[in-house]
Amino acid sequence: MTMQKSFEFSSDSVKLEDFRNDLKKLLTETGFEEKPINEILLAVQEAVTNIIRHAYKEQGKGKFSVQFEEDEEKVKFSIRDYGKKFDPTKRPDPDLPRGTPGGLGIYLIKNVMDEVTYDESFTEGNLIHLIKYKKKSHS
Amino acid sequence: MKLQQKQNGEIEIFELSGELDFHNTPQVRDKVHEVLSKQAKKVVFNLKGVTYIDSSGLAVFVETLQKMKRYGGKLVLSELAAPVRSVFEIAKLDKVFTLAGTETEAVQTVSQ
Repeated sequence: MTMQKSFEFSSDSVKLEDFRNDLKKLLTETGFEEKPINEILLAVQEAVTNIIRHAYKEQGKGKFSVQFEEDEEKVKFSIRDYGKKFDPTKRPDPDLPRGTPGGLGIYLIKNVMDEVTYDESFTEGNLIHLIKYKKKSHS
Repeated sequence: MKLQQKQNGEIEIFELSGELDFHNTPQVRDKVHEVLSKQAKKVVFNLKGVTYIDSSGLAVFVETLQKMKRYGGKLVLSELAAPVRSVFEIAKLDKVFTLAGTETEAVQTVSQ
């Protein structure tokens, strides 16, 4: 059995805290424990924040969506925007600890999720997939 | 997100609660920078009530530490809840900041 849910947002009006609360409700039904749920919330949040801060920086605002899918073995988030193209998987990891603010978002996403892939076939903007497996509890 | 400020002698104490994300970090940054502009030498953050932090939240603390180091100030963060501490650890910032278990301990540490 699989479960799916889609969220559509505008980058200038998305309420991050409300979105996190909605996601948390969904994730508590998946059987994940509190720690991985918090990690997933962090990763999705960082991806969304990158869209607001970077993908739509020039236009000022734009639409994006987050699609949630769950099956027996994993949860998957497909996050799509129509802004400036940027492949986060190609960004090298920063030297840690960083002595200057910023530059940690993508590192956090890659660190807490099991798979992060950039879908090159989506040409209108950016589409990334974040996956966390249920058995392989990532720490 | 709630931010309360109090003073204990020469120590500025910020008590934060709620979720510290991209949307609400500017208000925290503004308030903290107001205090730092007076070159506060000793600052403690009590993060007991913070239930969520993202990279924008981390950036506020890194920036605060960076500014305070420039004028020789001391900063201690205290009472980090497990989900918040975990984000500090992933970013290896637990090795950069002085972390205290309680606010009392943080006040003692910053006073030394």
